[in-house]
Amino acid sequence: MDLKLYLAILVGKLLTLVIRLARGGATAAPGLFALYIDPNLVKKLSKKIKNGSIIVSGTNGKTTTARLIFDIVSTQYKVVHNRQGSNLLRGIASTLVQKASFYGLLEEDLAIWEVDEATLAEAIANVSPKVILLGNLMRDQLDRYGEVDSIRNKWKNSLKKLNKSTTLILNADDPGISILSSYHKGPLIFFGVDDNKINLPKIANIADIKHCLKCGSILNYLSQLSAHMGHYSCPNCKLARPQPKVFAKDLIFDTDFSTHAKISINNSPLTIHYHLPGLYNVYNVLAASSVALSLNFNSTVIVEKIKSFTSAFGRFQKIKIKDRNALIFLIKNPAGANEVLRTIALKSKLNILAILNDKIADGKDVSWIWDTNWEILQKKVKTLNVSGIRAWDLATRLKYAGFKLSKNDINKEVNYSIKSSLNKLSNKDTLIILPTYTALLEVQNSLYKLARGIKWQEQ
Amino acid sequence: MTLQICHLYPDLMDTYGDKGNIITIVKRCQWRGIKTNVTSVTVGQSLKTDRFDIYFFGGGQDHAQFIVGKDLQKKAKGLFRAIESGAVMLSVCGGYQLLQKYFKTKEGNVIKGIGLFDAYTIGSDNRMIQNLLVEIDPELQVEINNVYLSTHMSLREASRRSNLITHQDRHAPLAMTRGIRNLVGFENHSGKTYLGRDVKPLGKVIVGSGNNGEDKTEGAVYQNAFGCYLHGSLLPKNPHFADYLISKALERRYGKVKLKLLDDTLEWETHSSAIQRTRSKG
Repeated sequence: MDLKLYLAILVGKLLTLVIRLARGGATAAPGLFALYIDPNLVKKLSKKIKNGSIIVSGTNGKTTTARLIFDIVSTQYKVVHNRQGSNLLRGIASTLVQKASFYGLLEEDLAIWEVDEATLAEAIANVSPKVILLGNLMRDQLDRYGEVDSIRNKWKNSLKKLNKSTTLILNADDPGISILSSYHKGPLIFFGVDDNKINLPKIANIADIKHCLKCGSILNYLSQLSAHMGHYSCPNCKLARPQPKVFAKDLIFDTDFSTHAKISINNSPLTIHYHLPGLYNVYNVLAASSVALSLNFNSTVIVEKIKSFTSAFGRFQKIKIKDRNALIFLIKNPAGANEVLRTIALKSKLNILAILNDKIADGKDVSWIWDTNWEILQKKVKTLNVSGIRAWDLATRLKYAGFKLSKNDINKEVNYSIKSSLNKLSNKDTLIILPTYTALLEVQNSLYKLARGIKWQEQ
Repeated sequence: MTLQICHLYPDLMDTYGDKGNIITIVKRCQWRGIKTNVTSVTVGQSLKTDRFDIYFFGGGQDHAQFIVGKDLQKKAKGLFRAIESGAVMLSVCGGYQLLQKYFKTKEGNVIKGIGLFDAYTIGSDNRMIQNLLVEIDPELQVEINNVYLSTHMSLREASRRSNLITHQDRHAPLAMTRGIRNLVGFENHSGKTYLGRDVKPLGKVIVGSGNNGEDKTEGAVYQNAFGCYLHGSLLPKNPHFADYLISKALERRYGKVKLKLLDDTLEWETHSSAIQRTRSKG
């Protein structure tokens, strides 16, 4: 009998019910209160999950990667997953409380946890993961996370304490991630992109790592694919990009935002065409494949599931509104935004609505827009609108990137801006919406209303 | 006319979007037909100080500051000579700290600065992270207004102009006339800076922490060298300060230059909406 746990689950479930009746998401509060009653709730319930837990962390790509993993492993397991992206410990607790029986039993036999960078240590301590995937580490919301170096130091300390049976999966192309291999004594899997060149426009890279993290010499890059990710080696010490076990090559990015590649998961390259855009999604695909490999999934199953995957909430999400289309790409930090911009720059005559908010979940500091290479869209844009709480900051950024904006193109109201940008489209045109995190929620709400048949021309 | 710009340690001190300051200087020159030339100077490279009219020195990660601090000693003499000859320097956060006498970290390590500003910084446990609104030092305010308003418009004209275009926001003209006294940005630092006698603050803190969160000062001014904690980037949404720096930098090489008028409607809207955001609690 564990009355504390039962009470925590009961309260969590009741709260979920109440919040859902009030049409809330119930992704954080139930867990928060349940943890208040039983701080060991996640630890206890995690032990009930027969095949253990998988942790997915890193700056960019967590949500998409975790969902890819979910699609693959669901063919064999019953999976519990914080799908809504509530990725602090309370999010994990909320998900567990909702899935568990009143007596703390779970039907699910495998867990996938998307985990916030700053929560990684706490999550590892609580769920004792079987697999940890670390995708990349880049500057993101410096007001909230602090500098990249300090997060990496915290990661190092918690990886040192890791159980030897845990498989650690690391991005070979990110020198700040691959170096973490030396802190773990158990099994390792590296993944990476083998191409030296890719068919995306070049961008002025912002790199958080230019120096060898071991000896401080300037790193040599044979190729720099994205931010500080690429094929690097140190001219002074032995540090170099490890040869990845799981890799992609011969990448071709299509203007319909699909991707062709050869992917080698278990020593046998398979040709694949899947419906996700950009280099950043290649990394997500490789990361998910590596996790599946560590669970002994067969390459053919993995590839089939990648082919049929349609993206996660707000990350390359398509919505049809009458005879017009909207395509949403979440942007939240310079590295991620730069990858999105170079991906959409494959096309021309773009209709763009960019939305900048500065709430806590967006990062209150908007200076990252100056580290973002908007210049790459010059001559590619047909219509441009700007919205959000910091619309003026973004408009000024775009002015200095060479775009002409009139005051009519700028409006803080997201709903208004969506309607007026849709109005500017010709039939069958697509509006590309680039929202920050909290703006994405507003975008979803307002598009949902429009798609349900309210005539936006008349509103 | 050509403006020679030196970007100090852009590979190591580029963490907080401060690059926008360089973009702003370059664009505002370009729009006026003034040529610019941006040169990056980093660790191990020599600095030809007579060449540059304007220096920019941004913020970086903590460990970068150790590397840069060491290298900067070798460039100290040249930088002093440049500043004494009237060159312009804008330094933000980490760059500002390294131009002071020293920075003592929380752990007690001392990073030697070059003492261009008579000031020092002590690491603290609380990070000062928020929008920062500053009222520019009164004397500097007069100088900035002389440059900006003489080339742009009189205050009354300014209000009228923005009144015509900002029908949505009736407070904009007021914010703008008020704005000419302010600088607005975003601070993110744990070091507390204390000024000595030989240096003046850039301004007085209205909202935020500024130098140390105690004495209401923000930034430092010595000759045409400016230090501050304002990210954002600073210059794009403070066009009066951007033009002031440009005009000071040109003055050294070409004598007093009257800057061509630019349409700064967007910049002022950004400025006043950032001030509004600073005052709001959301």
